[in-house]
Amino acid sequence: MKTAHPFTSEPGTVGEGLAQRGVSRRNFLKYCSTLASLLALPAGMAPVLAAAIATARRQSVIWLSFQECTGCTESITRSHSPTLENLIFDLISLDYHHTLQAASAEAAEQAREQAMHDNVGKYLLIVDGSIPLGNPGYSTIAGISNHAMLLDSARGAAVIVAVGTCATYGGIPKADPNPTGAVSVSDIVKDKPIINIPGCPPIPVVMTGVLAHFLTFGKIPELDGLGRPKVFYGETIHDRCYRRPFYDQGKFAQSFDDEAARRGWCLFKLGCKGPVTYNACATTKWNDGTSFPIQSGHGCIGCSEPNFWDAGGFYQALSMPITPVQGTLAAAAAAGAAAGVAVTWHNRSKKSAARAAHQKMTVDDLKREEQ
Amino acid sequence: MTATLAKGINAFKEVMDAPIASFFSSCVHCGLCAEACLFYTESGDARFTPIHKIEPLRRIWQQEYTLLGKLGSMVGFGKEVTDAELAEWESLVYDSCTMCGRCAMVCPVGNDLTYMIRKMREGMVAAGHAPEGLVTATQRAISSGSPAGVKWVTVQAQIRRLEKQHGYTVPVDQVDVDYLVLMSSWEILNFPEYLGAVGRILNQAGKTWTLASDAYEATNSGIQIGSSDLARELVSRIVSAAERLKARCVISPECGHAYTAIRWDGPNLMGRPFGFEVKHILEVLDNLRRAGKLKLKNQKSLTQPLTYHDPCQISRRGGVYEQPRTLLNACASDFREMADTGVMNWCCGGGGGVSANERAEPLRMNVFKKKKSQIEALGVKTLVTACANCRVVMEEALEHYGMDVEMLGLTEVVADQLEEN
Repeated sequence: MKTAHPFTSEPGTVGEGLAQRGVSRRNFLKYCSTLASLLALPAGMAPVLAAAIATARRQSVIWLSFQECTGCTESITRSHSPTLENLIFDLISLDYHHTLQAASAEAAEQAREQAMHDNVGKYLLIVDGSIPLGNPGYSTIAGISNHAMLLDSARGAAVIVAVGTCATYGGIPKADPNPTGAVSVSDIVKDKPIINIPGCPPIPVVMTGVLAHFLTFGKIPELDGLGRPKVFYGETIHDRCYRRPFYDQGKFAQSFDDEAARRGWCLFKLGCKGPVTYNACATTKWNDGTSFPIQSGHGCIGCSEPNFWDAGGFYQALSMPITPVQGTLAAAAAAGAAAGVAVTWHNRSKKSAARAAHQKMTVDDLKREEQ
Repeated sequence: MTATLAKGINAFKEVMDAPIASFFSSCVHCGLCAEACLFYTESGDARFTPIHKIEPLRRIWQQEYTLLGKLGSMVGFGKEVTDAELAEWESLVYDSCTMCGRCAMVCPVGNDLTYMIRKMREGMVAAGHAPEGLVTATQRAISSGSPAGVKWVTVQAQIRRLEKQHGYTVPVDQVDVDYLVLMSSWEILNFPEYLGAVGRILNQAGKTWTLASDAYEATNSGIQIGSSDLARELVSRIVSAAERLKARCVISPECGHAYTAIRWDGPNLMGRPFGFEVKHILEVLDNLRRAGKLKLKNQKSLTQPLTYHDPCQISRRGGVYEQPRTLLNACASDFREMADTGVMNWCCGGGGGVSANERAEPLRMNVFKKKKSQIEALGVKTLVTACANCRVVMEEALEHYGMDVEMLGLTEVVADQLEEN
């Protein structure tokens, strides 16, 4: 992995880096074609991607990890060698990542400051983990609070990429009762473009795909209302799920070991959050395109949506209320039912009255008097 | 006795039922019904959006039957339905809706807009906002037995001509028969070949049949104008004749709404199931064919390219769309389908009482442009159908546009294909 650049962190081109690594042009083009299709770009864009990536100065990247579990980093490194996802690290110059870098202590922090200084206004800032606002001491790196480090690093960044549900929406640290006062990156940084790549963790190719898009086009991809790239988060898991036909036919598994579950029927009633979760799991899948949770028999838990931890039990159907029905809610339901009964009674008597007032029509009743 | 706004409003309240309430509450205002309506597609006028045609009914539902509407009315919100408004809506409800039901096919929440228009017309007619032409037709239907004023003597004259032409006796008021045969006024006046064809086919199949001197007319102006009371009166004439003559099956003629009136609305209007079957003539013909009772020549008598116009009430609303194709393919060697066909056909423009409403003629001619383009796209010169009303409406329109297209009734086509005895 990358170590700090002791003299300068002005990086060479990607093409040079690849050649050094012995990656053939054919393999590189293959990678670009995959990338183009992943990003829903026309096939003709593959050579453009190749040209842009090969001649690009390797992008300086600073990766900050705050209140997180390292699952996002695990995910992005989990693409197994020698698949091409790994190469994405050679397209960038990862100047600071405290989990992956060999340097430690002073040298590590120096690397971050050096990269920020050399590439001011140009570097990419990747953040995973949420930021505690409750007490600066809850999470620090080299004695610097997460909040201070984020503000400091964000200042000179070209773009910020928040990866993982913690960085994008607060995630599990923010879950009720949120003891650390955790917030997301976008809650703090307001003056920089932010790309949100939620997921617990996000899909590796989604992370690398977004980085490649930025590298190639020099701008951020089209985002939705929650700051997510539409190309990966444009549709719900449910809409692209291979079990969707069973949902449409009303064929549901009632328990995880019944005949319906064995037949692969829809897991909606077992709490699948696919219908409200926007992500690419059902299409790109995990572990090199092998499978995804629903395919292995478990419902989606909606990990890439804001507040997913507090959105009801994982095994509770979406149609069920999140909190137990009691007290005022029960009273409101009873009042609603009573109002319904009253309105029905009123409607019925109104209709009966209309029926009683009905005068049998004859042909003489077809016209009005004045006519 | 006269029509009043109060009676109309009372009728609107009276027709409100569970389907209507669920239709109104599930409407998502998507406007897809507009694109399915030929009055909209041929004019681009948004007033012709099907759901808009029932706006006064929707407001009555909202104000009288929903909680928020009731509360709103109490504090003075909610515009009342007025006479002036109903007068404005008259042409939308009667002139620009043929009750063809195409809109109901595309509605994403499954609202049956034809059902709603039918209910809407109950209130319109009670309030005296039915078009002159339909009022006159209904008055004639009740008083003389036929909306066109056709009397039994006219039918008798037709019978005598047919007997001379075909050499068989037309049975009248025969008891204990397989079929009671009905006609529409159009068939008596314009297409007497229909009765001739039915007689030849039933005789060859060895079936017993009869006409009824007190119930020869199948059409039902009460359904079209929207008065259940009058529709019931007209249906009951057929029901009592069928029961008196102990007919096992009543054959609805080549007329779309007559089929709807007798088969679907009939038992509901009478409030009881019939002791006899009701079938459309095409169903009867296809059943005979399947039972091997219809002996057809192998050599197909129609060799020119031709197409079939689905009558809305028979194909879309009645489900009889496979039979005409089977029958037609047995008689014609070059049957071509229109682009939108079967249950998604386009209406002729004159159904649901529009053809009886002289005021609607310019509208009717305008919307025929859709059918015109369908016919022209196929390049056929022969158009077969199974509804005398469609046939009259389209013959007029073909004339209006100077199109050289011949029209045929499917029953005559089948009769002409019969093996000679």
